[in-house]
Amino acid sequence: MSLVIDVQNVSKHFGKATAVNQVSFEVEKGQIFGLLGPNGAGKTTTIRMINHILNPDTGSISILGEPASPKSQERIGYLPEERGLYKKMKVFDQLMYLAQLKGLSHQAAKNAIDFWLDRFEASTWKKKEISELSKGMSQKIQFIATVAHDPEIYIFDEPFSGLDPINSEMLKDIILEEKKRGKTILFSTHRMEQVEQMCDDICLFNQGKAVLQGNLRSIKQSFGNNTILLDFVGDSEFLNELEGVRINNRSTNFAEIRLLEGASAQNILQVAIAQAEIQRFEIVQPSLQDIFFSTVKDTKVAD
Amino acid sequence: MINSSKIWLIIKREYSTRVQTKSFLLSTFLTPLLILGFMGFIIFMTVSDNEAPKQVVVIDETGRLLEPLTQLNATRYLPITASQSIDEIRDQIMADELDGYVLFDRSFLSEGTPATFVHNGAGGITFFESLRSDIRDVTRQIRLEDNEVSEAIIEIFEERPALENRRLNEAGVDEQSNAFLSSIGGILIGVFIFIGLFGYGAILMRSVIEEKTSRIVEIITSSVKPIELMLGKLLGVCLVALTQFSLWIATYAGVTILAAPVAQFFINQRMGDLQNSVSALDATGAVANVPSDIDLSFLEQFSVDPLFILFFFVFFVLGFLMYSSIFAAIGAAVDSEQDSQQFMTPVMLPILLGYMLNFRIAEAPDSTFAIVASLFPLTSPINMVTRMLVSNVPFWEVLLSILLLILSLIGMLLLAARIYRTGILMYGKKPTFKELYKWIRQA
Repeated sequence: MSLVIDVQNVSKHFGKATAVNQVSFEVEKGQIFGLLGPNGAGKTTTIRMINHILNPDTGSISILGEPASPKSQERIGYLPEERGLYKKMKVFDQLMYLAQLKGLSHQAAKNAIDFWLDRFEASTWKKKEISELSKGMSQKIQFIATVAHDPEIYIFDEPFSGLDPINSEMLKDIILEEKKRGKTILFSTHRMEQVEQMCDDICLFNQGKAVLQGNLRSIKQSFGNNTILLDFVGDSEFLNELEGVRINNRSTNFAEIRLLEGASAQNILQVAIAQAEIQRFEIVQPSLQDIFFSTVKDTKVAD
Repeated sequence: MINSSKIWLIIKREYSTRVQTKSFLLSTFLTPLLILGFMGFIIFMTVSDNEAPKQVVVIDETGRLLEPLTQLNATRYLPITASQSIDEIRDQIMADELDGYVLFDRSFLSEGTPATFVHNGAGGITFFESLRSDIRDVTRQIRLEDNEVSEAIIEIFEERPALENRRLNEAGVDEQSNAFLSSIGGILIGVFIFIGLFGYGAILMRSVIEEKTSRIVEIITSSVKPIELMLGKLLGVCLVALTQFSLWIATYAGVTILAAPVAQFFINQRMGDLQNSVSALDATGAVANVPSDIDLSFLEQFSVDPLFILFFFVFFVLGFLMYSSIFAAIGAAVDSEQDSQQFMTPVMLPILLGYMLNFRIAEAPDSTFAIVASLFPLTSPINMVTRMLVSNVPFWEVLLSILLLILSLIGMLLLAARIYRTGILMYGKKPTFKELYKWIRQA
């Protein structure tokens, strides 16, 4: 497997604040890689360094085997968290400009833009200014600006934030499709269900540090089957009597129960049966959300 | 290293999106029209003497001033008729039938009692001055006569020696010079550079703020270096300014080149008409009172030396790049135009200073202070150009001024690029001067 993105011992400071602290991770070709973490954890700064917008204070970043540089920028398609286009510029002119800045020739840029506009059924918007487009339309244009130069690597910073369900689903399909074409995708998010559905590898950020990383499936396995999914009918009071557990998710007839040290699933089942009608009792791997919370909590305690 | 083909793309965008705007077209084509209109108005005002003749009644108690005054100007000075009383005259003045009256007291000549001019407020200072000059001339004449001074002395008093104003040009030939005209030109050109530096600097700053707030800057910097974006923007906007100035200079040159032939054409036509009518009236062909030629050489004073235009562009471009790199840095440091005020003030001061000094420099272009202002890089883009128009500046001073300007331009660019690079990705709180200093120090 060849390394597409190689981040080694990277740190970045802004004044006295440390935004990224000794972070290392590797992204292999053809992967979908998820950067997770709460706001302010250092995800965007890391992404900007990979994009060669910022330079790390220490450590190194290699893209496709070479140090990050203006050349590597041309092989990356970047969709920033805060979207933006020139409001007073026409759609076609704007896309041409951005694609040529990525190193495409005039003709190649024109062909690619025509292809993508056609694919999004947006060819009629060519002569429109961005300010005339709806939010969903300008998001499509933004996406075309990211992909028009046919990069080998896609980097999406919070790609699903602000998308309606239809666009969100479409973006997900495109990401999976590009993966099939052999592209490498790195995206940051705090929405766990998308990571669970799409990512191969993840890296979890907290307070500037990479606190957990690796293959998503192995990570979940390493936490073991320590979670109980419980569907029931009746009084939920018994949940409060359980000891040695943490209840992650709770509603009138559902609970996700995390077993802590020494707790026994059989004991819980007995308590539950005694007080409510059980419709489902399943022992599963923890959800990513749960892993996220417990890891973040652990690092806080460690600090 | 700097990628020049990407800078070129940025320049093209900055340029083409601006020259296509309505405001650019409007300001480019309306400004010369406005200036032409203004110049035409000034010329019209100075040349035309079609002011309504004023009528002033002379109440002459000395009995000696009325006659010479009416001889001097019969339409202006009217005698008082026997039936009129002062009150009637006052009523007529109130009713705007008369413009005023002058009262000479019996003792005006003997004891020097001041004469009084009573009027309805029309006429203004020019009319008052011309009235006073008339009275002075007439009084002097009477006194000379009273003292039986010889003709020779009277002639001495009437003499008006002329002073011709000629300036040595580079070829060593003296030519007609109009110091007043070149001073006006110097002030005007200074105003143009001032407006250019400040106006286009503000346009650039606004565009940097817009890129920052619309967040497109993050996409751009994922393709080019911040310094490349900044240079591209500076050069693009600079080209827009140069385009506008070139169009104006071309218009001006066109007008001054065409002015003489056009004027000649109309004069010839009128002379032709005149000659026709004269010959129709008088078969002897008496054309003695028709001027054979009218001197239009004064129009040459409006023509501009191409070398001067070159230096004008050099100083404007260097000054623009220097100031606008600061404007770009300010735009990058703030999130909105309101926040930029605090940083604008220290930048505005030297430009304003250069602008203010310009009026003194147009008057005294070779004073020590003018030389200093035209060498000091923060004011030289305005002041040197004015000096060059008004006076003959030694070539070494021009070169030194350009050199100093280039050095400070490079310094400013380097400082500005550091602020710009950090600022465009910073959002939220407006930075303090101390923080800007930190950004500059960060390697």
